[in-house]
Amino acid sequence: MAATTKGRKYVYIAAAVIILAIIGVFLYQYLTPPAAPTPPQPAAPTPPQKVKLVVIGPWAGDEAKYFQAVIDEYVKKHPNVEIEYRTMRAEDVAATMPVQFAAGTAPGDVIFGWAWFIAKMGKEGHLVDLTNVINEKEYVPGIVDAVKADGKIWGAPFTMWLKPGFWYRKSFFEKYGLTEPKSYSEFVQLLEKIKGIPGIKNPIATGDGVGWPMSDVTEHFIIAYGGPQMQLDLISGKVRFTDPRVRSVFSDYLVPLLQKGYFSEPIEWTTVIPKWWAGEYALYFMGTWITGMVDDPNDLDFFPLPESKGVVGGADYAFIPKYSKNIDAAIDFIKYLATEGQGVHASVPSGKIPTWTKVPVSQLWKPMQSVYTKITQRGMAILPDLDDSIGGDWQKLFWDQLKLLWVNPGALDSVLKTLEASQPKP
Amino acid sequence: MKIKGIKDLVIFLGPPLAILAIFVFYPILGTIIISFLSGSSFTFENYRAVLFETIPLKALIVASPGPYPPWGALVHNAVWIVIAVPAVVLLGMVLAYTLRKIFGSSIVLGIIFLGMVLPGVVSGLIIRFMFDGYIGIFPRIFSLFNIPLLSSTWTIYPETALLALILGSIWLWLGFSVTLYSAGLDSIPSSLIEAALIDGASEREIFTKIIVPQLKPVTIVVTLMTVMWILKIFDIVYVVTGGGPGGASTVLALIMYMYFASALEHNKAAAVAVILAALTLIPAYWYIRMVLSGEKYEE
Repeated sequence: MAATTKGRKYVYIAAAVIILAIIGVFLYQYLTPPAAPTPPQPAAPTPPQKVKLVVIGPWAGDEAKYFQAVIDEYVKKHPNVEIEYRTMRAEDVAATMPVQFAAGTAPGDVIFGWAWFIAKMGKEGHLVDLTNVINEKEYVPGIVDAVKADGKIWGAPFTMWLKPGFWYRKSFFEKYGLTEPKSYSEFVQLLEKIKGIPGIKNPIATGDGVGWPMSDVTEHFIIAYGGPQMQLDLISGKVRFTDPRVRSVFSDYLVPLLQKGYFSEPIEWTTVIPKWWAGEYALYFMGTWITGMVDDPNDLDFFPLPESKGVVGGADYAFIPKYSKNIDAAIDFIKYLATEGQGVHASVPSGKIPTWTKVPVSQLWKPMQSVYTKITQRGMAILPDLDDSIGGDWQKLFWDQLKLLWVNPGALDSVLKTLEASQPKP
Repeated sequence: MKIKGIKDLVIFLGPPLAILAIFVFYPILGTIIISFLSGSSFTFENYRAVLFETIPLKALIVASPGPYPPWGALVHNAVWIVIAVPAVVLLGMVLAYTLRKIFGSSIVLGIIFLGMVLPGVVSGLIIRFMFDGYIGIFPRIFSLFNIPLLSSTWTIYPETALLALILGSIWLWLGFSVTLYSAGLDSIPSSLIEAALIDGASEREIFTKIIVPQLKPVTIVVTLMTVMWILKIFDIVYVVTGGGPGGASTVLALIMYMYFASALEHNKAAAVAVILAALTLIPAYWYIRMVLSGEKYEE
């Protein structure tokens, strides 16, 4: 009996020691200040020895195939480099990488992620400084700003998508004698006319996913009827969502269309494409990547809202975690991605245009050449994406509140108030 | 003898304790410590912040501003428990009892049990289809009765999103309930039912006065396990609604994920995790107590 009591005592002592040791180790690790960021890494030539790079990006399916073309082109010129591509959504990169970085590891050498996330991680000292790799002057103005923090460039811009307006099938418009609108009232007349066409469920298909397709439509209305500056001021927080000017964009232009049922209920954005193509919907607001997702891109055309003076455009950005084991090779590859690699990506049906201004328009995939020409002819400014620029959990809130607005347009004031309450302040 | 006893303790307890220390105690203690850390000081600030947060996708108690929806994740979890637990218990018991007497019941049982074995993401997709306005069985049924709100896609409306998830979860968890009740029914001595039949008891009386009381231990287990499962629920909510629209279907585990993955506020995420764990410990405590008392009784 005494032996059992003593035995228990030892167990209790052992347990107490273990628990105290864990607390000690944990507190030491947590409260110890992080190591200072590594100094900027200069661009280096490709090392001669055989190296393997792991590249993580958001593309899957056909999109991955188009990105693979970029990789293949690089590997052809650098036979000593082996590249493995892995798919991971930007959401997952943002969710999983901070923990891995904190542990001093990284699952890839070159990783694509959201711009706000890259700037944040760079600021926290987890990324390789690319200031000496990226020549800001060679890019679309403002495109590098999104990945800058503390005066340094933490990410490399890759190709750019645009969200130029409402896509439609030329053959559908020809069949029913429809024409692109020249004013908002003509746009409403067009929607009314489409509504009367047999087989049409709603004039405009609403894409859904985690919520971003609705934010794209909303931003297009903000730019068209609030002006490009309103978009920029909403990003910086100078203009609030409860501002009467912002409210009027919603209440005078977007909400009436929702109330009249011109937009469909939100439907998963890829599954709605065949339905739209089959004529259940006439218009679909989507980014330029749609050109690579339809059966016949030559039957495709788009129009922005007639009063719009800008379109949202955004680049994919890549970064190098400082925990990469092949930093030199990774720098060489990321430099290629940010320059010549863009030309390769834009020449295949990726639906993207280069952010590196040295790629000639003639190198673009043909359908994208006409999209690009249409936008430049209208003199439209390329503006940053509102929710991508702000990022974080506000982005999710924005998507979620717009989902609510779509099915319940009467909740407009509540939606705007909610968005304003969490909107970053300047 | 004494030395041998200590040696045995070290040999037998050492390795499992070491594994538990690394993979269980360390993360638990780490989470608790993080939840109290704000900067480099220990405070209740994270708990205060998460409990009184009013942003719809992060609110635990009340969401504000605006009328859609008024409640936060804790309330949604409570509503879920109030609806799903009685449904899982009652349906499980009735189905297990009824299906025993029907030819080909194994097929029905198999369909019911399917929800239990499917991965959460797949179950979530099936729930999406079940409540889809075009192809879903529920909207189709209600369209026959001309009820517009229930004839549309349930998961995209704030009024019906949570209900769709709750009904979907009942299907998912019913397999567990039916399995346990089937095992419980097998353990009821047939002499009890035969005696009741000889005494002239009706089917209803046998069910309410013999079967239900005899199944009480199973009912307690099903209730406690279902409550714990609902408190921890995440996957189907993430896949089907993401907590929306307008935060109408948030749950505790999703809020924890929001803090962790979207806001990158790990201390607040840890605070929500501790709250979630504390709530789960209440039914877990009763469950463990019941299991231990059963073991004592067997001894």
